[in-house]
Amino acid sequence: MSTNEERKILDGIRDGNEQAIKVFYQNNYSYIKSYILNNSGDTRDAEDVFQDALVVIYEKLKEGSLNIHENVTVRSYLYGVCKNLWLSRLRKRKKMIVDPGIIKENEGTDISISEELEKKEREHLYRKYFLALSDSCKEILRLVFDGKSMKEIASITKYSEGHARKKKYDCKKSLIEKLEKDPMYKELKVTSIKE
Amino acid sequence: MERTQELFERIELYLAKQMSVEETIAFEKEMTMNSELELEVEKHRELQRVLSDTDTLRFKEKLQKISEEIKQENSKSASISYSLFWKIAASIVILIGVGTLLWNTLNTSDDLMDLYTAYYEVYPVEDVTRGSAATELDLVMKNYEQGNYEKVVAILSQDTSFSLTEQMRLYLGNSYLNLGREQDALKQFEQIRLDSKYSENANWYSALTYLKLKEVKKASVLLRKIIDFDGIYREKAQELLTKLED
Repeated sequence: MSTNEERKILDGIRDGNEQAIKVFYQNNYSYIKSYILNNSGDTRDAEDVFQDALVVIYEKLKEGSLNIHENVTVRSYLYGVCKNLWLSRLRKRKKMIVDPGIIKENEGTDISISEELEKKEREHLYRKYFLALSDSCKEILRLVFDGKSMKEIASITKYSEGHARKKKYDCKKSLIEKLEKDPMYKELKVTSIKE
Repeated sequence: MERTQELFERIELYLAKQMSVEETIAFEKEMTMNSELELEVEKHRELQRVLSDTDTLRFKEKLQKISEEIKQENSKSASISYSLFWKIAASIVILIGVGTLLWNTLNTSDDLMDLYTAYYEVYPVEDVTRGSAATELDLVMKNYEQGNYEKVVAILSQDTSFSLTEQMRLYLGNSYLNLGREQDALKQFEQIRLDSKYSENANWYSALTYLKLKEVKKASVLLRKIIDFDGIYREKAQELLTKLED
C-alpha cells in the first residue's frame, strides 16, 4: 500500500470519517475475527478487541503519539495491537502463561505498547458498559460528565432537580455495579491495588 | 460499604473541589481510615476522567454503529442471494422443466459463488505455533498478512529445501485459493493428516474449495465431518450445509 493510502486511512480514523473507517473495518475485521476464533475466543471477543484496538489508534493519533515503524502498514500495526490485547485478555481469563515471544516485533508494536494497552484496559470497560446503559441514563450521565450543574441538567431533561439527582445516582450506581461484575474488571482492579 | 445517594454526592463534591476546607480535610481523613471509601472515590474519579473524553466515546459509538451496519448488510446480502437461489430454482422447476437443466446449473453456480464469498475468510496467521526457521517464516508471514499471495506461493512452492509444516500448508492452500488455483489449494489441504490439530481447518477450507468448484456433494461430505467433529467451525458448517441442502 502506498504511503498516500496509509495516510488517508490514518486521517480517516483521526477525523472520525465514518465512510473511511467503515471501509477499513470491513477490510480487516474478518482477519481478526478468524484469529480470535482460532485462539479460544468468540465473536463478541473479536468485536471488543477489534474496536478497542481502533480506539487505541484513534487516541494515539489525537495525542500525536502514534509511532508506526516506517516499513509497517497501519493494517499490520492494528493486527499487532489486536493480538497484544487478545493475548493479555486470554492470559487474565485463563490465568495462563503466554509466552510474550509469540508477538512478532515486525508488527510495529513493542513491549512498551503492551504496558500502555494494559493501562487502557479499564478505560475500554468503562466505555463499553457506559454505552450499554439505557438511553435515559446515557443522556443524564453525559450531561454530568460534561460538567453541567444539576439545575442545567434538570432544565435540559425536563426532570425536577430532585428527580434528576436521584436518576444520576441510580445510573452511576448501576454502571459501577455492572463494571464490578465483569471478571476482567476485577482482574484489573487487583493489578491496580498491587501498583 | 453501602452505596447511597448521599455518599455519591459527597464524593462528587470532593472531586469537583466544591467542599469547604474543613469538609475536605475531614473527608480525606475519613479516606485514610477507610480503604473502601478510598477505592470508591478512585472509581468515581476514573469514571469521570474516562467518560468526560467525549471524542473517544463518540468514536467508540461510531465503531459500534459501523459494526451493526456491516452485520446487517452481510445478513441482507446472504439472505438475498439465498432467496434468489430459491426463486431461480423454483421458477425453473415449475415453468421450464427438465430440458433447462443447464440453466439451473448456470444460475446456481452464481449462488454457490455467493455462498463461497459469504463464508470464506482467509486463514489467519497463528503466531503461537511458529517454528524456528524465523527469517524465512517471517517473510512468508509478512507477505501472507499483506495479501501478497503470489509471493507466498513463490517462496513456499519453489524452495524445496523448505519443509512445509501442516500449518504452512494451510497458508499455501489459502494463497492458492486467493489466486484462483483451486486444485493446487486442494492438494495442500489434502496433505494435512486426519489426526493433526489442523485437520478441522483443512476440512473447512477443502469444503469451501469444493464449493468454489461447484462440487456440492464433496463439499457436503466434508461439512458433515466438520459438524461431527464439533469444533470451532461446527456452527458455520451447519449453516452452510443447510443452505446447500435446501
